[in-house]
Amino acid sequence: MAEIDAAGRTTREINAAIRLAIATGSSEIVVRNPGARHNLGVALLEPVKLKIAGSVGYYCGGLGDGASIEVEGSAGWGLAESMMSGLVRVHSHAGSGAAAALRGGAVVIHGDAAARLGVSMKGGDVVVVGDCGYMAGFMAQKGTLIVCGNAGEAFADSMYATVCYVGGKIASLGTDAVLSEMEEGETERLDRTLETYLGSGRPAAADFRKVVAGRKLWNFDKREWRIWQEAL
Amino acid sequence: MCGIAGYWEKSGSGDTPLGNTLLQMITALGCRGPDSTGVAMYQSKRPGTWTARVKLGDSGDLPARATQISRAAASVGGQDFSRVDAYLRFSLDKQEDPKPLLGRIESVARDVEVVSLGNSLEIVKQVGSPANLESTFSISRFRGSHGIAHTRLSTESVVDLSHSQPFWAHGRPDLAIVHNGHITNYHQLRRRYEQHGVRFYTENDSEIVAIYIAERLNEGGGLQTALTRMLADLDGSYSCLAATESEFGFVRDPFALKPLCFTETGDFVAIATEEIAIRAALDGDYAVRETQAKEVRVWRR
Repeated sequence: MAEIDAAGRTTREINAAIRLAIATGSSEIVVRNPGARHNLGVALLEPVKLKIAGSVGYYCGGLGDGASIEVEGSAGWGLAESMMSGLVRVHSHAGSGAAAALRGGAVVIHGDAAARLGVSMKGGDVVVVGDCGYMAGFMAQKGTLIVCGNAGEAFADSMYATVCYVGGKIASLGTDAVLSEMEEGETERLDRTLETYLGSGRPAAADFRKVVAGRKLWNFDKREWRIWQEAL
Repeated sequence: MCGIAGYWEKSGSGDTPLGNTLLQMITALGCRGPDSTGVAMYQSKRPGTWTARVKLGDSGDLPARATQISRAAASVGGQDFSRVDAYLRFSLDKQEDPKPLLGRIESVARDVEVVSLGNSLEIVKQVGSPANLESTFSISRFRGSHGIAHTRLSTESVVDLSHSQPFWAHGRPDLAIVHNGHITNYHQLRRRYEQHGVRFYTENDSEIVAIYIAERLNEGGGLQTALTRMLADLDGSYSCLAATESEFGFVRDPFALKPLCFTETGDFVAIATEEIAIRAALDGDYAVRETQAKEVRVWRR
């Protein structure tokens, strides 16, 4: 296992050290003293395990394709933004725009997520154990967004085909977001997903509510002008 | 982009290395705004006294200006005068209304401004980096109970000492604010305040945050009420910190447009634009969380 001490190094030097460790055959890498620095572990394309022993700043794990990143502290803005595949797990809280434009893989946040969680996600799984802030799931297109705690205002606004599950209260649903009944076998599938990411400590899938797009915004219809006025 | 930071020690002993903590926080945020830097620091002082910090002017013969202002201030009880760079600092007994004192000092010249006044508040700010602020004023030596800090990237108004932050709410002793964002109904609100005789010292939209909060506090509510009402009355993007001698808090605008995160432990509260500032200044095992849209938190003693 390769160990990298981030103290006193520039972001570029830390990321270069991570790449050098990967190039020389390390499959497990630990970064110590990250100090909430930005842009750590961005665009890692190899199936390595990267553990960050502390907090990270903006864009950690962004553009990744296959790496498994574990952050022991909190994360700043744009966690795992546009990730293609892989896993990013944050043990504390995540900042705004976590999992934005996610394409695949999974983002697991054990604390709370701030505003704009999973906006415009196009695939993958997002799991938040705590609460999420304002406008989560805005314009999300595919994939699954799971919030075990409470969801903030304008939840799932203007969505396409992402499916959301909320375990707690929803402050308010966004434009065209509707509550929907679970299909046959769907609760069991949700439970398996929760088990995959959270293990035995997972919450009960039966307590979750499902939110999907009402599909009123999918095609323009001038008879529905009022909903468009609100959405725009 | 700007950077803001705040620190509140819970015990209220007033004897923490506050200046050093704020300096480390704001240094870590320095790349967010290279134009100017400032801190508002609170320290327990003898009750019934005020400390004033006066900007002597934008240019010219500042030592001569200091003598002139010292004379004007001495006539209303000012004493213990000292000058560092563009600032004159002095103390005086607390007065019923600060306005006559401000009028007396600021009538010396148009570019003279009382930058801060209060029993425990002192503001130091100037154009340049956190390192410049330290080399001019040695703020790291300052001990105190709580404080707020700012590093500025100017977007709409000029870069000079008066347009730097923190802002003291002129006329309301001990109230200071820092703001990151834009107040989009600034001109409308400013016109309304000016019709009621409020003087604006700058073209910086952040100044109105201090004026607004002072107005709410003067109505008798606490900081919690003031910051909550701000969500309804001020438009735009704002992550703001505000402090008085006994309260300290933040407000985040309804769209959560500007970053702000914080941590609270048994000993302290630390708030900053980015977590990097909190980690740079404070060791320990604590969790940092980004604030949510419309979130208001206030601590008091």
